[in-house]
Amino acid sequence: MSVEPLNRLVKLAARAFYDDITTKGDNLPKTGRSDNRGIAVVVLDALTRRQWVREEDLAKDLKLHTKQLRRTLRFFEEEKLITRDHRKETAKGAKIYNAAVAATADGHHTGKEGDEKIKLHTHSYCCLDYAQIYDVVRYRLHRMKKMLKDELDNKNTVQEYICPNCGKRYNALDAPQLVSMEDEYFHCEVCNGELVAESEKLTAQEMGDGDENARRRRRDKLEDMLKKQEAQLKPLTDQLNRVKDLPVPEFGNLQAWEARANAAARAANGDLNGNDPSKSSLGLGFGGTPMPFVGETKVEVAFSGIEEKGENIKSESANAPMKVLPPWMIKQGMNLTKEQRGEAKEEAKMDGSSAPSGSVDEKKSATESVDVKSIQDEYVKAYYAAILQRQREQEAANKEQELPSSSISNGAYNTSPQRQLGMKSKRDDQDEGDDVEWEEAAPAGNAIGNFKVNDLNVQADASGDDEDDDGIDWEEG
Amino acid sequence: MFFHIVLERNMQLHPRHFGRDLRDKLVSKLMKDVEGTCSGRHGFIVAITGIESVGKGLIRDGTGFVTFPVKYQCVVFRPFKGEILEAVVSMVNKMGFFAEAGPVQIFVSNHLIPDDMEFQSGDVPNYTTSDGSVKIQKDSEVRLKIIGTRVDATEIFCIGTIKDDFLGVISDPGATS
Ligand SMILES: [Zn+2]
Repeated sequence: MSVEPLNRLVKLAARAFYDDITTKGDNLPKTGRSDNRGIAVVVLDALTRRQWVREEDLAKDLKLHTKQLRRTLRFFEEEKLITRDHRKETAKGAKIYNAAVAATADGHHTGKEGDEKIKLHTHSYCCLDYAQIYDVVRYRLHRMKKMLKDELDNKNTVQEYICPNCGKRYNALDAPQLVSMEDEYFHCEVCNGELVAESEKLTAQEMGDGDENARRRRRDKLEDMLKKQEAQLKPLTDQLNRVKDLPVPEFGNLQAWEARANAAARAANGDLNGNDPSKSSLGLGFGGTPMPFVGETKVEVAFSGIEEKGENIKSESANAPMKVLPPWMIKQGMNLTKEQRGEAKEEAKMDGSSAPSGSVDEKKSATESVDVKSIQDEYVKAYYAAILQRQREQEAANKEQELPSSSISNGAYNTSPQRQLGMKSKRDDQDEGDDVEWEEAAPAGNAIGNFKVNDLNVQADASGDDEDDDGIDWEEG
Repeated sequence: MFFHIVLERNMQLHPRHFGRDLRDKLVSKLMKDVEGTCSGRHGFIVAITGIESVGKGLIRDGTGFVTFPVKYQCVVFRPFKGEILEAVVSMVNKMGFFAEAGPVQIFVSNHLIPDDMEFQSGDVPNYTTSDGSVKIQKDSEVRLKIIGTRVDATEIFCIGTIKDDFLGVISDPGATS
């Protein structure tokens, strides 16, 4: 369940389509400070490093105003890139979430403790919807291409008609009902108004129609656009092909995810304790309600995870011995393993980013907020140092608590089916280094005008662009 | 496109036809009933070419009518997107023209008529090239390509284009007469 190629897809798509999205509305003049282009890309990038995240926390991490972030997220929700969840929460609800976050962050709390949120608040959460993103991007590309092609050929297009009075739309297939005996126009079935053919959408406005010259110019322009489109969106289409057969990570809805993250965390702890590969389902022992969800055993957790763990450890190790350790749990165990920590840092990190619990991702965001002030080029260094240090601390802590785990965890790690994924760690490094830059960098100005597709349901309103250059830069790092 | 297929239909026959000619009556009634009709699934039934089998009749309670399940071979015509058809122009107006290919009605909108043909209103509305050499008016024969079909349960309507190679007028009654 490697999420990395999909994250790359998200990043490419963000740069291709959402680079110049302003959340204030497009007609405002884009001047100086009010220009918030690029925010969309930053937000999407940030989301690739998280799973479900509370929107206030995300805003804090990105140093954005909550309102602004929410506008952007709403936009992405409409674009079908993310799913959101809103719920009224008491402190308890917040705690469940915090516990889940803590679980995915290897026991290190990010953001604030749940205890502060005593009152009933509505909190919003958001998460990338990878499966849908894949479809949305493909559909968008398809529509863009089809639109240009159709207009280029000027054939296979079904002429559309519109009633200027009542706005009702018809197309050529309605023709028999629209003919009138009195004159040679089509008439609206509703108000009998005279229908007008909808003019060719892309180019007619700029060029005017009529003489042969204009027509040829238009054709040239369309061909040019089509070529540009193909060339500039190539990285995106390549990436689409790459992820085509990959399984898509499913985080499920918020509750399921929380439950699973908490269960996973407990399972991991139990593993270290009882030294035995069966803990995945021990959550059931606590009387939580199992969630019917993608075939894994999940648990609705009624307590706040980490704090109460002490009491539960016994029961965990008690009903431990006879079940099989699922792959995601092996990874969890591996993260906590001492030996791999120091030497195999890259692998651990890679693994974290692809593990369903995304532990290192969260950790990363935590370190991020610590290091934000440091200068850009020192950032990466500091970041790695911080990770290393944190891992060491953790190792030490783990060692004290749970000595016997290492050998088994090693075994588990070595037999882990995910191990070959280590190959990718190199690229991950680059990516993450770049992410750092992307998060801070101002949106690069793009020169010639861009493909913008504001509404997937309608049509691409393409105008030639260069934003994929961004994608390419980023790719080469 | 034409297809030769086997269809089945339950025929109800009045008791007065029961006699020597029962089978003939059945067939002629079948022809009257189905030829020229259209189904969205199979297209227009052009002609019945033969009877495969006539099943056992079932007498209806109360009426004395008998229902026979009849399997018959027939030629159907079903237009498809992308298909090239020859059709006769039936009406010309500013929005384009309508043409008929047998039972199928096809509309060609003006943006799918070659750019060098202009609409001329008047007694006989038509589309004509600037040099007047080609003219599309009522009763012209055109070769066109189907680019879209609307299939209802009982009706098929098509839209077509003549804006492509080898499409357009194939004879011009206005020029010959
Ligand atoms: Zn109207």
